[in-house]
Amino acid sequence: MMEEAVKSTNLVKIYHGKEDVEALKGINISVKKGELFTLLGPNGAGKTTFLRIISTQLFPTSGEAHVLGYDVVTQPNDVRKHIAVVPQDVATYANFTPWEYSYYFTMLRGVSKPEAKATAEKALKAVELWDLRNRTCATLSGGEKKRAIIAAALASNVEVFMLDEPTSGLDAVARRKVWAVLREMVEQGKTILLTTHIMEEAEMVSDRLAIIHKGSVVAEGTPEEVKRLAKDRFRVVVEGNLKSLGLTENNNHVTKFGNKNIIYVKDEDEAIELVEKFLKKGVKAETAPVTLEDVFVKLVGGETD
Amino acid sequence: MNFKILRDILIITGLKSMPDLKRQPLILLLVGLISSLPLFFIVVLGGNVGLGLIGAMVSATTFIGMSAPIQEIAFDRYVKIREMIVAMPVHPMSYAIGIALAPLILSIPSLVFFGAIALLVGGLTIASLFGAIIAILLCWASVSSLGFLISTYLQKASPYTLNNMSNIIGILLGFIPPVYYAEEVLGNFSWISAVFPTSNAVSLIRVYSGKLSLPFEVVIVRWLILILTTIVSIAITTFKARWREP
Repeated sequence: MMEEAVKSTNLVKIYHGKEDVEALKGINISVKKGELFTLLGPNGAGKTTFLRIISTQLFPTSGEAHVLGYDVVTQPNDVRKHIAVVPQDVATYANFTPWEYSYYFTMLRGVSKPEAKATAEKALKAVELWDLRNRTCATLSGGEKKRAIIAAALASNVEVFMLDEPTSGLDAVARRKVWAVLREMVEQGKTILLTTHIMEEAEMVSDRLAIIHKGSVVAEGTPEEVKRLAKDRFRVVVEGNLKSLGLTENNNHVTKFGNKNIIYVKDEDEAIELVEKFLKKGVKAETAPVTLEDVFVKLVGGETD
Repeated sequence: MNFKILRDILIITGLKSMPDLKRQPLILLLVGLISSLPLFFIVVLGGNVGLGLIGAMVSATTFIGMSAPIQEIAFDRYVKIREMIVAMPVHPMSYAIGIALAPLILSIPSLVFFGAIALLVGGLTIASLFGAIIAILLCWASVSSLGFLISTYLQKASPYTLNNMSNIIGILLGFIPPVYYAEEVLGNFSWISAVFPTSNAVSLIRVYSGKLSLPFEVVIVRWLILILTTIVSIAITTFKARWREP
């Protein structure tokens, strides 16, 4: 039995124009069934291009991609039966209600009216929009609108969901509600391919993730595995002037934000030793393991578009 | 065309028309008003109201038939319904016909209104109604399929360009050729009427209403041109429209 929900092999996409842009440079990604896999990357990294190829909206230039064993180029109709997509920066249609979104989109899957009504109801309850189902989207908050779109995808009851930055522009509370919905979907056995540039999101919801930068995968694994890729595993945050703290600005292990400095060290012992040293001097300092964001910044070299 | 394609056409038509119809009923009035603008000048300037009413019926369907798919692309930049549907098991034909049918439903009250007045003032006759409906539907099918074809090639164009283009093409097809005025006005160039599906449909309706006299063979040729235009438009759209981006 095939264990992979999504698999790409040397996937390349070149946008031809006045200047050719190589958006994907041979991407190899494998998403297992029933996992939430995140493509994490800065803007313009190629995340959306990858998702659009996998969801049969865009042709690749070369390479192969399969969803549940179906080729996205030669078997798009088979792929489409098993996927649902939430596009990037999607706005809701002001005159639609959450119910209309879920009901009509489910009907397009070829199910009967009673079945469409039942699955639409289930999806809207799952995203906690059942009570608001008959309100027009114009009257909903940003988070509610986003959940209305996710419900439309969820109601389709397919195996693989592809969500392109579903929480961009949402506040922390709304974002966490979406995360809860996504994890619930995974617990029900669904596969989710998610893109985001929000580190906390990738760390909190992903079973595994890939960091994609300038069209290439630069790291892949569970959030913990990716964090272990960093040579410096701990960070010490200390306030004060670099020189008075005995640090140099061009030190590769120090990142400066105004009066705050993050010093990256190899392990916990070294971090504790450094914190104690600062505290003895009367300088405020604290330590923690490196975050995914720390690793991400190291891997992409601080370059974003 | 299988059952799923037909069913999806109805679902997409409902999706694209029912929410607007329920919550923005003024849109019905707007469609009618746009098409009746030239009619206003015809009445004021003492022109032939009967001819103008037939023109209003044809342009009420074709103007939005052409502009709907193009404007749809502009609007879809934000709501991305097409993007979601492309990734679903939905045939492009269902989407194309569905989004073209939705505004046709919105224009039905205008069609009925203009048709009723045309019957009252003698622009249309009961006998010519069947021919008129067929001609209008063929014209709508050819124009809206071309609109869809154009829209699939303009996915990167700005919303302003798309809006301008849909209006320009709509005016070119709905107002410039002899749709609101008699083709005899063009003198030796009256054959131009046959080139555009809009004016061709209008001429055929006028023939059946007794407002235009054309030899039987010419009428047959005009019908053939209209049918051929429709078939070619649909065929080009079917084979050349870009459902999936290259």
